[in-house]
Amino acid sequence: MLLDAVHMEFSPRYHHTADMLLEEQMIIESAKQNPEYFGAIYDKYYKPIFGYIYQRMDCKETAFDLTAQVFLKALTNLEKYEYKGVPFASWLYRIAHSELMQLFRTQKNLRTVNADIGDLKHICEEAEEEYMEQYKGSLMTVIKQLPEEQLQLIELRFFEKRPFKEIAEIMDLTETNAKVKLSRILERVKILLTKTSK
Amino acid sequence: MEPKFNLNRQPVSDEEINSKKDFGELIKQFKKQSIEKARTDENFFKNKKVTYSTIIAGVAVLCTVTYFAVFNQESSKKIAHEKTFTKPLNSKPVSGNKSYISPPVSKLNIPYSTYRVKTEKGATIMHKNSSKITIPKNAFIDKKGNNIVGDVEIKFREFHNQADIIVSGIPMIYDSAGVQSQFESAGMIDIKGYQNNEPVYIKPDKKITVEFISEQTADRYNMYFLDTIAKNWVYIGKDNSLDKYRKTENSQQNTSFIEQERNLTSKKIIELENKIQEIPNKIEKVDSYFNEKITQLPKITIPNKPIEGKNSIPKFELDIEEKDFPELACFKNIVFEVGSENKNYNPKIGDITWSSAEISHGPIKGKNYWLTLKLKNNIEKLIVYPVFTGINYTKALNLYEAKFDEYQKLILKRETEEKRLKTELENKKLALINTQNQLSEELVREKVKISKQKQFKLDEDFKKLSKAEKITRTFEINKFGIHNSDCATELPKNSTLHAFFVTDNNKLSLKTQIVYLICHDKNLVYTLPNGPIPYNTNETYSLCVLANNKLYICDKTTFAAIIAKQSNKIPVKEITDEVSDAIELKKAIGI
Repeated sequence: MLLDAVHMEFSPRYHHTADMLLEEQMIIESAKQNPEYFGAIYDKYYKPIFGYIYQRMDCKETAFDLTAQVFLKALTNLEKYEYKGVPFASWLYRIAHSELMQLFRTQKNLRTVNADIGDLKHICEEAEEEYMEQYKGSLMTVIKQLPEEQLQLIELRFFEKRPFKEIAEIMDLTETNAKVKLSRILERVKILLTKTSK
Repeated sequence: MEPKFNLNRQPVSDEEINSKKDFGELIKQFKKQSIEKARTDENFFKNKKVTYSTIIAGVAVLCTVTYFAVFNQESSKKIAHEKTFTKPLNSKPVSGNKSYISPPVSKLNIPYSTYRVKTEKGATIMHKNSSKITIPKNAFIDKKGNNIVGDVEIKFREFHNQADIIVSGIPMIYDSAGVQSQFESAGMIDIKGYQNNEPVYIKPDKKITVEFISEQTADRYNMYFLDTIAKNWVYIGKDNSLDKYRKTENSQQNTSFIEQERNLTSKKIIELENKIQEIPNKIEKVDSYFNEKITQLPKITIPNKPIEGKNSIPKFELDIEEKDFPELACFKNIVFEVGSENKNYNPKIGDITWSSAEISHGPIKGKNYWLTLKLKNNIEKLIVYPVFTGINYTKALNLYEAKFDEYQKLILKRETEEKRLKTELENKKLALINTQNQLSEELVREKVKISKQKQFKLDEDFKKLSKAEKITRTFEINKFGIHNSDCATELPKNSTLHAFFVTDNNKLSLKTQIVYLICHDKNLVYTLPNGPIPYNTNETYSLCVLANNKLYICDKTTFAAIIAKQSNKIPVKEITDEVSDAIELKKAIGI
C-alpha cells in the first residue's frame, strides 16, 4: 500500500500553522466572553462544515439547517471547548458528525454516499487493482455496506481527499490507527474486486 | 437500510452556500436559547426544597431587620443621614444624560471655554477657533420663565473632526422613523448658559447666532439638535450656510499669496546661485590657462653622450643637415657606424660608390638612424649609430660635458618655473573654492532667511486663508445644548470583518467596549458595538477601540493590510500618555 505517498488534495481551511492556531485560539477565548467574536469562526468554517454535511446527504435544505445547528451547538457549548493543539474545525466536524448520526438514526433514508468515478478509481489504485468498468457496481455496493465508521474513513480519505492527520483529528483516532483501519478496508475491497474479476 | 449512492453529483455553488450564511440569525438563536436556559434555571426555585429554604431565609432576614429596627435606632439614623448626604454624588453618574453622552476617556474630552456676558447688553464673543457667538440683549430666562438680569456664564465648545467626535462621546447615530444611520459631520457645537450655577434658557423670541468655521465645504448638510431626553437627534432644517462670497474672496487672496511668494524669492539668491554656478567654469579656465603655460615652457633635451666608434665595425662618413638633426649639430666629424642589427651586412657595400646616401631618424630616435644607399635600382637600408673616432671623440666628450652642465641648469630653471606656475594655479583654485564655499554658505543663510520669511508669511496667510477657505456655518440657537450640521450616512455595506483585537505584542486579546470605525474619506466615525465591522472596499479607514477604559488605535495602513490579508486579528496600539487631548488623538489616528 502506498497510502502515505498518495497525493491528496491539500485542505487549506483545515491546515493551520502554529500562528494560525494561536490566532484561532484567541478568537475562541474572546468568543467565550462575547459571542459576537464567534463570527470569525463562523465565516471561516461555514463552507467546510456545510460541505461535510452535504457530502453525506442529498437534501440541500436539510444540510443547510444542520450546518446552522452545528454552529449553534458549538457556540452554546463553547465554554466547554478545550484547546488540544488541533484546529477548532476538528471539534466542529465532530459536532457535525454527531448531528448527522442523530439525524440518520431517525431518518435513515437521508443518508447518501456521494463520490466521483475518479474517487472509485483512486480506491482501486490504493487496493492495487486496476480499475475496470465492471468494478463500479461492486465497489458501490461494498462501500454502501460498510459499517458507519469504515464508510466515514473511506469518505474522508477518498471522497473528501483529506490527509490522514486531519482524518485522525476529526475521528479522534491516532494517525497510525486511521491508516491501519483504512488498510484493512482496502484489503476487503481488494478481495471483493478479485472475486468480481473472476 | 443501505444508503443511496450518487455518482458525480452536481456541486453546490459558493454563491448558494454564502447566501445561506447568516451569523446574525445564529446570534439571535443563541440569545434566544440562552434566555430559555435562564428561564429553565428559574424553574429550579419552584421545587419544594428551594421553597422551604427561601421561607426560612426570609424569616431570618425579617428577624434581623426587626432587631436592628428596635434595638439599634441610633445607627439606623446614621445610615439614613449618610444616605441623604451621599445621594447627589451617587445620583450623578447614573443620570440619563451622563450615560447617553459618554466620553470614552474623560481626560481627552474637549473642555468648555467660559465667557461672561452681561445680559442687558448682549455680547459678541470671538471663540478661540474663530467662531463668532452673537448674543442679543435680554436673551435669557430662568426655569420659571422669569427674565434673567446680570451676568450669565456661557460655556461653549466645538467639534470639528473624527477625533473630536470620538473624545466627546456624543452619539452620532440618527434614528429616523426606525431607520438608523450615522452622521457625517460638518461640525458640531455644544453651548450652555448658567447663572449662579443654575442653568438658564433662551427666550422663545430670541436667538443666539453661532457663526461656526467649518472644515467641511460640501453642501449636503442639515442642522440637528441633540435631544438628550428622547435620546435622538432632532432635525431642524437645511444648513443654509455656504458662504460663497468668502470663497471668491479667498481665491483672490490665493492669487495674491502666490504672487507674494514669488517676490519673496530674493534677487540675492539668484545672484548667489549664478555666482556659485560660475565658479567651476572659472576653475576650469584657470586650470587650462596654467597648464598651457606649463606646456609652453621651453623643452629641454638631454644632450647625447658621444660614443666612441670601434675600429672593427664599418663606418660611413656623411654630411648631414644640422637643422634636420639638431642633436648632432654641435658635434663635428661624426661618422656613422653600422649597427649590429644589420645581420646581413655585406662588407662589399662599403666598396660601392653609391649614387645617393640619405640619413633619417632610426627606430630609436636620437640614438640611431636609417642610412639609405641607392645606386640605380640597387637600394640598401642600414641602421647606423653616430660615433666619434680618435681625437674627435675626446673633443665631442668635452663638448658633451659642457652641454650637459648647461642642460642641468636649464632643467632646474624649468622645474622652478613649473613649480611656481603650479603653486600659482593651486592658489588660484583654492581662492575660487573658498569663494564658492563662502557663496554657498551665504546662499544657505539667505535661503533659511527667505524660508523663515516664507513660513512666517505662510502662517500669516494661512491664518487668513483658513478662516476664509473654510465655510462659515450659521447655527441659530433657541435652545442650549448640542447642535450639529450633519448629513445622515448609511453603514458601509460592501464587506464585513469579524474582528478580534490584540495588543501589539499579539498576545493579549482585548475585550472591546466600543469600536470606532474612522472613515478617512469623510468626516465620519461609525460607533460600533462589539460585532462585525462593516466597511466599503473603496474607502480608507482606521480604527479606534475602547477596551479596559483605554483607547487603542489601528492605523489606516495596518487596517488596509488586515483587509487585504482577510485576517480577523487586528493589532492595536494603546495610545500613549503623550496623547492628552483631541488634537493629539487626531495626530495619533493620522487624520
